[in-house]
Amino acid sequence: MLEKVVHTKQAFTEELQKAATLQDLEQTRIKYLARSGEIAALFEGMKSAAPAEKPALGKTLNELRQYAQAQFDEKKLLLEQSAKPKEVPFDLTLPGRSKPIGTKHPVTQVMEEIKRIFRSMGFSVENGPEIESDYYNFEALNFAPDHPARDMQDTIFIADKILLRTHTSPVQIRVMEKQKPPVRAIMPGWAYRNEAVSARSLVAFHQIEGLYVDEGVTFSELKGTLVAFAKQFYGSSIKYRFRPSFFPFTEPSAEMDITCYLCNGKGCRICKHSGWLEVLGSGMVHPHVFQAVGYDAEKYTGYAFGMGIERTALLRYGIDDIRILYENDVRFLKQF
Amino acid sequence: MKVSQNWLKQYINFKFTPEQFTEKLSMLGLEVESSEDLSKKYDKFVVGEVLERAKHPNADRLSVCKVNIGGTVQEVVCGAPNVAAGQKVAVALVGAVIPHNQHGDEGKSFILEHAKIRGVESHGMMCSEQELGLGKDASGILVLDAAAKAGTPLAKYLGQTDTIYEIGITPNRSDCLSHIGVAREIGVLVNKKMKHPKVILKESRTPASKFAKIEILDKEKCPRYSARVLRNIKIGPSPKWLQDILSSVGVRPINNVVDVTNYVLMETGHPLHAFDYDKLAEHKIVIKAARDGEKFVTLDGKERTLTSETLMICDAERPIAVAGVMGGANTEISDTTTNILIESAYFHPQNIRRTSKYLGLSTEASYRFERGADMNITVTAANRAAQLIQELAGGDLLKGVLDAYPKKRKPIVVKARVSRINSIIGTSLSKMQIISLLKKIDLVVKSSSRDELLVTVPSFRNDILEEIDVIEEVARVYGYNNIETKTHAAIDFSSNVRTDALQDEVREFLIGSGFNEILAIGLQDEATMSLAGKPLVKALNPVSAEMAALRTSLVTSALGIVKHNRNHGTKDLRLFELGNIHLRIDGKASNSLEAYQEEERLLLVISGNHAPVSYGNASRVVDVLDMKGEVSALLSKFCLDNYRFIYYDTHEALSEPCIGIEINGTYAGFFGKIRKQIADKLDIDEAVFVCEMNIRALRDGWVRDRKFSPLPKFPGVTRDLAFTVDATLPQNKVEDVIRQVGRPLCTNVVLFDTYSGQQTGKDKKSVAYALEFQSPDHTLAEEEIDHALAKIIEAVQRQCNGVLRS
Ligand SMILES: [Zn+2]
Repeated sequence: MLEKVVHTKQAFTEELQKAATLQDLEQTRIKYLARSGEIAALFEGMKSAAPAEKPALGKTLNELRQYAQAQFDEKKLLLEQSAKPKEVPFDLTLPGRSKPIGTKHPVTQVMEEIKRIFRSMGFSVENGPEIESDYYNFEALNFAPDHPARDMQDTIFIADKILLRTHTSPVQIRVMEKQKPPVRAIMPGWAYRNEAVSARSLVAFHQIEGLYVDEGVTFSELKGTLVAFAKQFYGSSIKYRFRPSFFPFTEPSAEMDITCYLCNGKGCRICKHSGWLEVLGSGMVHPHVFQAVGYDAEKYTGYAFGMGIERTALLRYGIDDIRILYENDVRFLKQF
Repeated sequence: MKVSQNWLKQYINFKFTPEQFTEKLSMLGLEVESSEDLSKKYDKFVVGEVLERAKHPNADRLSVCKVNIGGTVQEVVCGAPNVAAGQKVAVALVGAVIPHNQHGDEGKSFILEHAKIRGVESHGMMCSEQELGLGKDASGILVLDAAAKAGTPLAKYLGQTDTIYEIGITPNRSDCLSHIGVAREIGVLVNKKMKHPKVILKESRTPASKFAKIEILDKEKCPRYSARVLRNIKIGPSPKWLQDILSSVGVRPINNVVDVTNYVLMETGHPLHAFDYDKLAEHKIVIKAARDGEKFVTLDGKERTLTSETLMICDAERPIAVAGVMGGANTEISDTTTNILIESAYFHPQNIRRTSKYLGLSTEASYRFERGADMNITVTAANRAAQLIQELAGGDLLKGVLDAYPKKRKPIVVKARVSRINSIIGTSLSKMQIISLLKKIDLVVKSSSRDELLVTVPSFRNDILEEIDVIEEVARVYGYNNIETKTHAAIDFSSNVRTDALQDEVREFLIGSGFNEILAIGLQDEATMSLAGKPLVKALNPVSAEMAALRTSLVTSALGIVKHNRNHGTKDLRLFELGNIHLRIDGKASNSLEAYQEEERLLLVISGNHAPVSYGNASRVVDVLDMKGEVSALLSKFCLDNYRFIYYDTHEALSEPCIGIEINGTYAGFFGKIRKQIADKLDIDEAVFVCEMNIRALRDGWVRDRKFSPLPKFPGVTRDLAFTVDATLPQNKVEDVIRQVGRPLCTNVVLFDTYSGQQTGKDKKSVAYALEFQSPDHTLAEEEIDHALAKIIEAVQRQCNGVLRS
């Protein structure tokens, strides 16, 4: 009996393997698994076996039936799949449908980040006109008439004593004229200089000006605020230094340098081999400026600072010619 | 300003590497911009001795020399006719940078390489004066002193052992425009006082006052005029040391007298001038203003027209120098000059600056006078020059200084409070600390009360006039980096109003809509800017014609950008700009700010294909509805439905059609297609659609505060209706009727199709709408909707002559 079982299993397995179509498979099913099939016949034959053999034989036959059914199901699935008309598989490399993507000008991006940092420190954002008077651009900022300090900023004139502002500092005066202390504001915008266009300089550029006036503002705090800014903007590990400088509207005046992040202070072409990058000018608001806007210079002290945006953008993005910023070539704009 | 390290060391002893020098002076406020080690220039150049000269086997004009370069002997091929055995010569070895290529390449420098010249190996090059960059002689090799030792580095032989620094002196520090001035600052760093040069004069018995007279007629502009007279001097070239040191700081040597005046200028910072004494009419110096329109020829040979503002140095008959700026050709030192008068004066800074600006002439002298010279140093400087001239040109120095000094300068005393110093800087320095800091820079302090200091300012520091100036000096000498870096914690946010929030939001919105932000410079070329048809604000002194006028519209500058991109192959454009324009207001004087109006504008530009070539997006060229859609989306976001579009009858010159935008009934801008005539002028051959809006109008219409409306509780039902109407009827007539009549159940109407063709006939069109019906309080029954539809159909038929299409 057992021999018969083994034989049937072998024959079934062989036939199943040979079955190439669903019809073949159906033949095999009828032959072995149908109610009148060979496996059913084996169960029938078990009845005539000795009672002592029956349990073991029953177990073997059940195993055979399960085996045959499982093999059959598997083969059927396989044949069904191959019998189906071939569907083209999904091509994952097809591009997704999309809309055009817009971009923010790199100068705007730098400006926005600077504004964000100072806003978080409580600075408001103020604006002023680009066409200015000599008074706001120079005189009120303690540039005496016929003083060589005026040579520091080559001016484009519109009319007598009317000019394109050479820096955003006149907005300081406008803000202080309309507001009593405390004043804490940044003033971004365009400024213009009468300089030949080159890879390093343009006729127009962006500046951002800062001003804080209150009782008890010190140079020490100027340093604190600007260092806090620089660490957020350039990274917390930067080294910095403040070096004496001269601006007519601040005294003491200082330039802030940070270690060149392109060469880590070792000296390279960008930092003119000094290891330092000049990032902003600053100083304590000059008492003459307070007098011009009617603030009590004995009661209030303050600091002011200013920085150029384009230069910062050039350094940040590794751009070596400032002129490309304002060509507005879409291939350039899309990189940011 | 260039300073020589060797020169500085005459006055102060210091041992800084170039790096230290740069760092330390910069931290004191004298920004060292660059340094140049002169010996490096002659790296790989040595003194050589020509041992043998033989003819080159393959070339008649060349010779092959055996040259001892110190220890070794090398073969060098030489083309110079004057080379001879026994000569000491300058030999450049392989790798040396030859300063001047005298055989071509416009005289540029080049690196010497191994060379086989006509088959003979040459291991170096014997150089001419020109090749070494030492002069113009290129006729043969430079023959050195016979005593020179072979193998000596050439830099050492030439005395080129100096380091030259370029220092940027800020306009307030005229006291540092000299070697003595810089040495004084180095003294602060090394805690020593600099030493002034010793001046020992050998005066003759004859008093100078017998030979010359000085008369100041304008005491305001010339508070002091000192002079010395030397006789029987011999003009000639200066000795090498003087020529070298002047050259090293960028001053061209001329002759011994002029060189001495320049030397004293670079040493003390005080400008001097030497006149040919014999050419001074009546040997008299008169300082007075010029006559208006008077002509005068300066040393540079140029004729200048003067004004009554110009201060002149004159003799008894005529002007001889523009005071403080430049001498005249008529009294210039020449080779035959034997008697001279040295001027050492002080002129009023503002006047010198005005004169220098007016004449367009800036000199070493005017540069210093306009920043403020030292009134107390005139005699010292004249004496120093007299001493050096006597040493170099001989002659007799007449006894005594001629010194017209009508009103003696009083020293400036500034009051400064210890408390104020600390409250500005944020330090807690004691009075004694402050006094000792100020002493380092020669500010002498007397204390008048517990808090108050009386600070006497030396005459060379004309920038210290009030308390804040003293405070700056304290901070500077104390060291900015020693001042604590701290922040104030109490921040008042009450005034922190965001004025630029709209621009930020508009920007983000447009980027989300696929626009690229552009930024254009406000100054543009006049021709293109005038296309906007408005009077321009122009620069009086433009940098160039391309940047001469301010924009009156953002469109004009954007057209240039469109053109640039098209020329570079980008034709599908979606651009926006947030920028300022400037308008000239009629009837206001040009020298008043009221004549100029600045406006913030928003610009949109679309051109080319609707979307870049991409998978699944059919390509389609943009038209005016694309622009209308973009504008509508923007306005709906910020101003809800408080806007409308109106045909403007070519109101703006720039576009056709020109569709006006009104927000809450106020004009806010326009959109349309750039006129063909304008596009043609710029060679743009594709439709460009633009929209320009006033940011202020957008801000005024900005609905920032939104109120919640409850969501509908009952479902809505959609029905479509299509009508045939006259082709000329604007679709919104139909839409408006549907909205009005459909109220309150019809809550939304959307036009989804228009058609005109075979089915409608040419003079008719079909308009199809999707209508949404909804009730706030119940689910609508079919009959209700049918009833509303019937009313709508009837009204459209009656009011728009519209026939329902089935
Ligand atoms: Zn670097």
